[in-house]
Order: sequence, then structure tokens, then C-alpha cells
Amino acid sequence: MRLEKLSFLLPALLLIFIMVIYPILATILLSFNIDIVVGAKVSDKPPSLENYFKAFSSKELLNWKGVETGTFPMGALIHNALWVAIHLPITTILGLLLAVLLQNVKGASIIRSLIFLGMVVPMIVGGLLIAFSFDKDIGIVNFLLNILGLKMFVKTWTTYPDTALFALILGSVWLWTGFSVVTYSAGLASIPKEIIEAALVDGAKFRTILFKIIIPLLKPVTVAVVAMTIIWDLKIFDIVYVATRGGPGGASMVLSILMWDYFARVADYTMSATIATILTFIILPVAIIWVKLVMRGR
Amino acid sequence: MVLVVLENITKIFPPNVVALDNISLKIESSEFFVTLGPSGSGKTTLLRIIAGLEKPTKGRVIIGDKVVVDAEKKVFVEPGERNIGMVFQNWALYPHMTVYDNIAFPLRIKKLPKNEIDKRVKEVAEALGIRELLNRKPSQISGGQQQRVAVARALVKQPDVLLLDEPFSNLDARIRVTAREFVREIQKTLGITTILVTHDQADAFAVGDRIMVLKDGKIQQVGTARQLYDEPVNLFVANFIGNPPMNIIKLVPAHPVIKALNLEDIVPKDDSLVYLGIRPDEALATVEIDNAYIVGKTRIIEYVGARKYVKVEVEHGFPIKVLAGENVTENQKVGVLVRKVHVFNSKGIRIESITY
Amino acid sequence: MIRGPIKWLIVNVIAWIVGVLWILPFVGIFMTSIRPFKEIVHGWWVFEEFHPTFSKYFEALFHPSYPLWRGLINSFIIVIPSTIIPLILAALAAYAFARFSFPIKNYLFLTMLFIMTVPQQMMIIPIFFMLHNMKLLNTYLGLILVHSSWGIPWITFFLRNYFTMLPTELEEAALVDGASYRQIFWRIVFPVALPGIVSAAVLQFAWVWNDFFFALMLIYDPKRMVATQILPLLKGQYHIDWGLLSAGSVMVMTVPVMVYALLHRYYVKGFTAWAIKK
Repeated sequence: MRLEKLSFLLPALLLIFIMVIYPILATILLSFNIDIVVGAKVSDKPPSLENYFKAFSSKELLNWKGVETGTFPMGALIHNALWVAIHLPITTILGLLLAVLLQNVKGASIIRSLIFLGMVVPMIVGGLLIAFSFDKDIGIVNFLLNILGLKMFVKTWTTYPDTALFALILGSVWLWTGFSVVTYSAGLASIPKEIIEAALVDGAKFRTILFKIIIPLLKPVTVAVVAMTIIWDLKIFDIVYVATRGGPGGASMVLSILMWDYFARVADYTMSATIATILTFIILPVAIIWVKLVMRGR
Repeated sequence: MVLVVLENITKIFPPNVVALDNISLKIESSEFFVTLGPSGSGKTTLLRIIAGLEKPTKGRVIIGDKVVVDAEKKVFVEPGERNIGMVFQNWALYPHMTVYDNIAFPLRIKKLPKNEIDKRVKEVAEALGIRELLNRKPSQISGGQQQRVAVARALVKQPDVLLLDEPFSNLDARIRVTAREFVREIQKTLGITTILVTHDQADAFAVGDRIMVLKDGKIQQVGTARQLYDEPVNLFVANFIGNPPMNIIKLVPAHPVIKALNLEDIVPKDDSLVYLGIRPDEALATVEIDNAYIVGKTRIIEYVGARKYVKVEVEHGFPIKVLAGENVTENQKVGVLVRKVHVFNSKGIRIESITY
Repeated sequence: MIRGPIKWLIVNVIAWIVGVLWILPFVGIFMTSIRPFKEIVHGWWVFEEFHPTFSKYFEALFHPSYPLWRGLINSFIIVIPSTIIPLILAALAAYAFARFSFPIKNYLFLTMLFIMTVPQQMMIIPIFFMLHNMKLLNTYLGLILVHSSWGIPWITFFLRNYFTMLPTELEEAALVDGASYRQIFWRIVFPVALPGIVSAAVLQFAWVWNDFFFALMLIYDPKRMVATQILPLLKGQYHIDWGLLSAGSVMVMTVPVMVYALLHRYYVKGFTAWAIKK
């Protein structure tokens, strides 16, 4: 019996260890110039922290001048941070409000599907859709801006350093809100109707019910949505690649693109590994919170 | 025809929940043995240990002449190798298979030839009266029918022992009676050693050759239905067996009722308390007060099946439910004729039973 | 909770406006893909002339350097094994996690949870060199291997949760019936757990089809590139042919959208299982 039980686990574990865990460890070590990659000479430099010093003093990662003057590029770290700072609150709050709004709407599941569509398509297409929508002539965003009389914002956002990142961030809100809407909708459905009815009988108004009952009860859902959104924002690659390639002039550079840049364009593998490691360690605290949430349910 | 022996079976769940405490018993070959107890008594755990779905912390189980589990010697025979059939509380029928495939499943695992399987499945189905249901899926048949399929699946591999886990609790009252008769008949016809677990004493009484009463993992009493009813070893068994439940009256030894019932010599003098047990069916409230040792006033009349009971407030200060005689109504002065009384000491152990 | 017919009407109107606005970019891209450029030069919403044509679709499919038809086929070649293999391996492992107890179970499970949060960038460099070594770089097999390995942790997590919700009685009955764990898994658990398994399959399918990064890193022969890789290559360096790009985008996204439309229930159940614990 024992052997049989082992055979359930073994193939999967084998693949994971060889193709996932070992490469992750190897990447971390590579960032210190230590090469444990079997059968390949990726790095022949002595082990050191030089890559980290180089990374943190590079303008691609942190451009203090840009931060001080408030002009792009500000460095990949800042760009990713901005992404989270803008995308996260909007998509979370918007998702919750839309989920609540759709509770009483006829054909709500169709509307949810329409909003969710952005999650279903490849992110390459998502990036193209963003570039398309922010185009000066045929982009719908600029059309709306024109109508609203905000002519000074009309341009192809993705080709200007001061607007490229924002186009991507706003586009990602449009793509990703479907996730929070659908998740919050499922969460709302799991709240027993009687609790809301009891509150109504008690005379509570909608706003009170929302803030004092619904939101607290949805806390685990919110934690999950927030955690997944932050992780998604930090990992983002496809959208940026196809819409701006990190440009213009690094104005929309993000960590994952920077990592790829070092690998494919510069062929500096240890630096590439370093950026990847930095990215992973930024994700780590959020990952811990998410894992804790999942384990609590066991 | 096999017997089942349990020796010193103890089961402790972490951290220190004692589910079974030193259970030893011998189940005779072809016997219909019932384990009776409230929830949490450990009865299902015991059954699962016999089946091999749980491992005992201490002790061993022997089926036939084979030791199937020995906690100390680290012997463990897999459930599939113990040649047992088991009927689960919720039937556990495979929902995606037809009734035929459900019953055939154990035979297919054993890799029996196709025509042999077909023969056996049809035989068992015929014996259990479900032959016409073979092509249906479990969701398409009634609860009673599902139970028969579960029994068929258990019996088709001609096991040495049949285990039943609360097989009647999912059936409504009307069907329960027929199901009980049905199971008992099958058991007697096949002569298969059977162990049934239930919390319902009516089930136990209807089918069991011998009944074991469990409480908190400890054996209270093992005996025939008659023995448990007439000679309960303690208060728990006395109260658990019998419907309506036995009247248990807590008294001091010097209480006048003791004298009224001529029990002074039996009641232990040095005990602070004594319990009297009187079954409602063994006492009668009658309008003729003169001969009665006990008198009281009737309160509420209750019907259980064909019988009429009445709650009497005895003049000595306690209520007692007894059979209601003719012309007995509510709020009436009556005499209570007691036919049998059981005397228990302060620890709840039965000392003696007196029949008048 | 919304009382009064007027309020109800307003809410419904707003909701539908939001819905329509939300898909405008998709409408736009579809329009751009079928309308000649001169008609939409001032915006695809301008309908002075309307002569739809599918010429851009053919252009994309049969592009001289980067034909999309090949990209689409390559995507299928990659996606199908990359769904089946991890599904089977992960389902087996998930069952072990759900039903068996073994010494380092919790640590292993924890490790898999963390792996799910790690970005693809974190493993790709050693993978690149390992595949190169095994002569699997730029091959279908190499990419399938990587996708399968990457899919196992999350599918195991997902199915393990699903399996723990199945009542154990069926498996216990099968044990008493003499079945081995292998038999129990394939004959009892797998069929009964089918909805969960379909959910996992649907999500993995969509994920692999939509992937870009692994393909970008591991495939560079245009003949073997997948659909998502081809798309950016259709973007001109100096002049963007939006008609071409739109047509290509529509074709590439049709597959996951169709899967979503047909298996919508499984898709959503899979997604929300991440966040909602029943």
C-alpha cells in the first residue's frame, strides 16, 4: 500500500522539484554569481553582492532624479509601486461597488461576463487593446476626452513618457476589475439573505448595511482580492511588452521587463537573475499573507 | 460461518479522547449482534475498527481464525482482504454507476469471470427484490431501494461477516419497520454473522439476537433483548431501553414509598440515596383506590401507539408515568398498582427487581 | 435591497451602461478588424461609410513572415498536452494530499502554495540553460514540459481542495469492496469529481493558450512560434497597421473566449475557488 501511495505523489513532485524548485533556487544563487545550473556555464564570476549594488544604483531600477522632479522615468521599482498604488484601490472598490450594484439587476450575469472578458483574453491582446484605446486618432479614450472637453489630454498616451505608465495602469484596471467583481459577487452570494433582512427590519439604511455588515463579512474575500491583485501588478509583463516595451525611454519600465531586458538584450544573466530575485522578494510579504489566509481554512 | 472476537480494544483519538475503553467480546457464528448506544458512545468507531477503516490504539480483532488487526504486534489486514461486507449509513452507492455496476463492483475488483459476475449479481438482486432496478442509477430509486442495493453490494461477494452502520436511520418510520424485518429475514436465511450499530433501541430489539449497550466507550451490558429489558445492570441501561422510558425515582432510603412497596429490607441502609425504577408498562393507574399502595392525581394523558398512558402526581411528591386503566381521565384521583420495580443503589447499579 | 421602482430602474440603467461601456474596446477592435482603414481614420465609431471586409484576417493568417495560421496551430499543439499532462499528475498528487497522511505533507503543501505566487521570471533563466543542454530549447516538447511543470502546483492546490469536499464514504465502501487506491481513484473519485476536474482543465487550457512569456523565452524559430508570440511581431516598427493587429487579436482571443462562453460555469467556479472558501 505504501508504494502505491507513493506513486500518486512521485511523478508530480519529481517534475516540480526539477523544473520549478531547483530553477528558483538556482536563480537566487545566480543573483549572487553562484552558478549551480547543471551542465551550463552561466556565470564564471566569483560570488558577491555586486549585482545588488549595481541594481540598486542603476537608473533603470530607481531613478531618484525622476522621482524628485516628478517626471518619468522614475525607475522600475517606482513604476511597479505606482501601479499597485493606483490600480489596487480602484479595482477593489470598483469591484465591490459593481458587485453590490449588480445584485438586483436583471441579466446581471451577462454584465458580469462582459466585465470579466478582460480576464479571459491573452494579456498580449490586453496590451494591444490598451494601446489601441489610447491612440490619438482611433482610441476611444481620446474620443471621450474630446467629448468631455479635456482636449489637453488628447494624444497617443503610450508614446509619451509622462502618460505611458498611466495608460497601462488605467488599462489594467479595465482588464482586471472583472476578477474583483466576480469574486465579490460570489462572496456576496454566500452572505445569508436573512442577515441583510434582519438589518432592514432593524431600520438600517443601505450605507450602514454596506459598511457595517457587508464589508466586514467580506473581509476574507477582500484579503484574497487584494493579495492576488498586488501579486498580479508586480508580475505584469505581457501588457507592457506589447504596448510600450517599457518605453518611451524607460518611462513605463517594470521589473519583469527589466529582467527580460537584461537577459535578452544585454545577455547579462546574473543581473537578470538579480532583478527576478528582487521582484520575488517584494512579492514575498504579500505571498505570506495569502498563504496564511489559505492555511487558516484548513 | 465465522465468529468475531474482540480483545481489549481501546481507541484513543488525539489529544486524549478515549473513544473506546477496553472492549472485549465474542460474537458467535451466525449471530445477529447489535451494538446499541447514544451518539458519542463509540459504537461506530468499534464497527470501523472491525472493518479496518480505523486502527485500534490497543487490542486485537480476530475474524474466523485470522487475526485481522493487532495493535501491539503491528498486524493490520486491509479492509478489502477481510472478506467483510459493509452497509454505510448513507448507503455510499457509487452515484455515477448503475445499480448493476454498483453491485458488481466488488466482484470486478476480484477479477471474477464475466458470466460468474452476472450470475451472482442477478441472484443477489433477486433475493433482495431489486431485480428490476438493475439498470437504474442510485438517484433514480427510493431510499428503501437504495438500502437494498447497498445490502446487495455487501452480500454479493459472500463475505464472512456483514457490518451495518445505522442502516435504518435514513428511512422514514413507515419503511423502517419493513426494512428491519427484511434485514432480519435475510440474515437468518443466509446465516451470516452480522454486526449492526444503532442508537435506536427499537432497531436493536427488532433484529438483535444479543445486544451490547455502549456508553462513553465502555460496555454497559451485553445480553438478549429480554435480559436488557428485565434485568438492566444499571440506571443507564434501564433508562435507555424501553419506550416510554422507565420512571426513575430518586429517594432517600427512609422515604415512605419504600415502605409502601415493601422494599425496606432490600434497600441498603447505609446508602444516602436509592433509585427506584418503574416501567410505565409495568404499573397501572386505576380508579379503584382502595387496593393501591400508592395514590396520586392524574395530570396529562398520552397515547403511544395503541396504549394509553397517564402522568400521575403521586401524593408522596414525585411524578410517574403509568398505563391508564379504564375510565381514567385527567385531574382525577387514582391509585397506582405496581407490577414490577427495580431497585438501584446510589451508584446506579441494580440491586434487585421485585415483581408483585 | 433596492426599494422603489424608480431606484430599481436607475440601478438597472446604470448597470447596463457600465456593461456596454466596458466592452467598447472589444467592439472597437472588432470594427477595426473588418473595416478598411480609410473609413476608421477618424475613429471606428464613425459610420459614414460602411464596407466591411475580412481581408485583414486573411492578411494576418497568411502573413509572409509571421503567418498566424501556423501560430494558431502551434498554440494548439502546445496547449493540449500542456493541459492533459499536469491535470493527470496533479490530480493524483492532489488525491494523495487530500486523503493520505505522510510525514512532510504540510511542508510540501506550503511549498506549493508559495510556488504559485512566484513569477515566471524567477525560474526561466536556469530552465533556459537546462533545456538548451537537453537540446529541448526551441522545441514543442521543451515548452510543453515547462508548462506542465508550472501548472502542477496550482492544479494540485485546486483539486486537493475539491477532493477534500467529497464525502469519504464512497472511497471507504470501495476499500471494503477490495479496491486498491489506484482503482478507487480512477473508478470512483475521478468520475465523481469531474466538475472540479473540468474547471481545472478549462483554466489551465486558457492559461497556457494565453501565455506569452514562456514562449517568448523558449521558442525563437518563427515556424514554431505560438499565436500570442506572433501578434506583437505583426506590430510594425514605425507604422502600426491596426487593421492587421485587430484581426490577429480577434483570432487569437477567439479560442479562450469560446472556451469561456461554452464552459462558463466551470471557468467562474474555478476562478472564485481561489478566493472563496466554502
